[in-house]
Amino acid sequence: MLELRDVHKTFTDHGRAVPALEGVSLTIPERQFVCIVGPSGSGKSTLLRIVMGLTPATRGEVLYQGSPLAGVNLRSAMVFQSFALLPWLSVQGNVELGPLARNMAPEDARRRAAFYLDKVGLDGYEEAYPRELSGGMKQRAGLARALAVEPDLLLMDEPFAGLDALTSANLREEVLTLWSDHALPVNTVVMVTHLIEEAVLMADRVVVLSAHPGRVVADLPVTLERPRNKRDDGFDALVDSIFEKIV
Amino acid sequence: MPEPRPTPRWVPLLTVAGFLALVSLFLGPERVLHFARGVIAVERGLGDLPAAAAWSLLRMAVAYAASLVFAWSAGYVAATNPRVGRFLLPLLDVAQSVPVLGFFPAAIALFIGLLGGGRFALELAAIFLIFTSQAWNLAFGVYEGLSTIPAETRAATESLGVRGVLLWRSLYLPACVPTLLYNSILSWSNGWYFLIACEIIVAGRTEYDLIGLGSMLSQALARGDMRVTLASLGTLIAIVVTMELVLWRPLRAWSQRYRYDTARGDEDEANDLPRLPDFGLPVLLRPLRALGRSIWSRLPLAETNRIASATGAGVARTWRVLRWPVFFGAAFASLGMVWSLVRVLLPPWPAEAAELPLALLLSFLRINAAYALALLWIVPLALWVSDHPKALRPLTLIAQIGASIPATAFFPVLVALLVNRTGGMEVISVLLALTGMQWYLLFNVLAGVQRVPQDLRESLRSLGLSRREIHRRLVLPACMPSLVTGSVVAWGGTWNALILSEYLIFRKRTYEVVGVGALLNRATFQTGDRTLFLLSVAVLVITVVTFNRVVWRRLYEHVHQRYRLEVA
Repeated sequence: MLELRDVHKTFTDHGRAVPALEGVSLTIPERQFVCIVGPSGSGKSTLLRIVMGLTPATRGEVLYQGSPLAGVNLRSAMVFQSFALLPWLSVQGNVELGPLARNMAPEDARRRAAFYLDKVGLDGYEEAYPRELSGGMKQRAGLARALAVEPDLLLMDEPFAGLDALTSANLREEVLTLWSDHALPVNTVVMVTHLIEEAVLMADRVVVLSAHPGRVVADLPVTLERPRNKRDDGFDALVDSIFEKIV
Repeated sequence: MPEPRPTPRWVPLLTVAGFLALVSLFLGPERVLHFARGVIAVERGLGDLPAAAAWSLLRMAVAYAASLVFAWSAGYVAATNPRVGRFLLPLLDVAQSVPVLGFFPAAIALFIGLLGGGRFALELAAIFLIFTSQAWNLAFGVYEGLSTIPAETRAATESLGVRGVLLWRSLYLPACVPTLLYNSILSWSNGWYFLIACEIIVAGRTEYDLIGLGSMLSQALARGDMRVTLASLGTLIAIVVTMELVLWRPLRAWSQRYRYDTARGDEDEANDLPRLPDFGLPVLLRPLRALGRSIWSRLPLAETNRIASATGAGVARTWRVLRWPVFFGAAFASLGMVWSLVRVLLPPWPAEAAELPLALLLSFLRINAAYALALLWIVPLALWVSDHPKALRPLTLIAQIGASIPATAFFPVLVALLVNRTGGMEVISVLLALTGMQWYLLFNVLAGVQRVPQDLRESLRSLGLSRREIHRRLVLPACMPSLVTGSVVAWGGTWNALILSEYLIFRKRTYEVVGVGALLNRATFQTGDRTLFLLSVAVLVITVVTFNRVVWRRLYEHVHQRYRLEVA
């Protein structure tokens, strides 16, 4: 469903060109859960922003369902590390924003927001403001906001990095449950993380980027049976082999 | 938003030159003299007070509304178009440092010269002058609000496909609420401050006055009528304090909701102030909010967006057609302006111009004397408060109210007490500058004291440091950023105040000291000498802009890098 062809991205810093991504080519089929890992400075987040259509590639092409991407991709949604909820809107207001932007009637938008808030376990918190929520609950709201636009493609930029270990473990489970629920619209997930274990735990496939500039140095399938556990046979071996690719 | 490239050094200089050229076009008091015949200054008594207050409030409100429109246009363009911003921001910076007297000729030529000398034209001129004391920092407020939206928040809204009207409502407008409110309060106190100057519109040797608190106050003072002076003063203070308590305080508490909760250090300001009945907010906001909701729910989003983008495209098309004629026209006009500027500024200069360097030096010394005096009591007080946190709340309230009362209001008291003593006028002008800057400084420093982390203080105490050591090693450095932030605004704003305080008319006698403000006043009110006027304005603006760029900005950057407290 998603194809990147020789994507380059260059930033200018004080008049100097700094390459962030160089010749990234990827094909991601439907229903795949892909994790992108790499050291800091490997352009993981930049890659995600290009796929979302937030920033154009300097060179190369991004094809979505066969046609090139122009501007923000309204068939996908994104979850951010900092949650990026609007502090002045209630949880409900934040989640409604996407449907409202798609010209949905306010009543329908409200109903849809309530549905997805329920899905992520935030029913009863509709009127709360983001600052009143814990980190884990904020990210649940962020997830509900992304789901409420009913995207085919869900992009997540280190969604669990700002949370404590227990909360992130819980949320990881829930994201996997939501993804495997065929009644929900999301079928393809691209997630950026710097934790290799997290990637092996969740993904069908791990793409490893190098740093300065970001290039694809490895593209490995993860065939461990779901649900996975860190104590599974072969888990450590896979983590170690990815770790070697990064170093 | 992309990081703006540094502004070329010549931009501010060019702006000053451009502004002066513009002013020189409008100079020509003799042209408007004959309009004055219809307006005769009326001696006003106590009975005129309510009407005067109402008129002043109305003028302030209209000027504020105009400032808001200006601020949104300028701030939005500067924040979203870095190429324009590079030129617009220094322009606003210069405009901010032009004393309100500098706008007098423009106001007179524009409104009185073009529209005739009727009441309507006079009102417009007064409103324009109040506008010039309110608009610039509001524009900076909008710019700051828009350009400090976190990148991820912006990306999140964009990724949801939010555009057009919905984008304004859900992101742009709310993001500017805190900075816009902060600057609105500042603008209103600026406005009150210059109300007195603005309501007496001067053209050469002719004065027009409009009924209002400012004009009543200054006329009563000039006549020496202390009863009317004190009554109008009381009314002014009552209005200002009421607005602070009924409008700004509740709004400030409400605006806390519009902050990004990245910094835990800034707990709700409302909790740190003594609780007062917030009767103003619900009463004021309920109908407004209901109105907003009903308009919003009836607004067809897609339709509005379509109209808005069509209008935008239309404007862009028109601009493409008109671009070159406008450029040529502007170039032609600026040539004309420069020519008239050169003509006015060409020697022979009036004899008084020789006084300028000395006058500038003395004014500069006065400002710094007032600044030193303010620090002399504010810093010890801040240190004391850091040990007595309970005093923080009442003091913050006092500072807020003090900052909202225009310093010009203390004018009559100081004058009546001091004017005929030795060095009286000198003391008055320094004290008046002091009253202008001290509250604002205090307010900022107290905010700094409040942000000193308790755990840092406790860790130092557990290391066995004495109270004085803690002051020196923790409290003072931690307050530096707020102190410098306050200083930048207070110092720049006080130049404006000094101009009003170096020259005054009391009991039909003119009192003045040697200073740039006095020169400017004399050129405006007495002689109508445009060369001297332009020279004084130029010297003033260049001094303020240079000092801001060379001293304050560097200090600000240094202090903010060195003493910033990382908030987890």
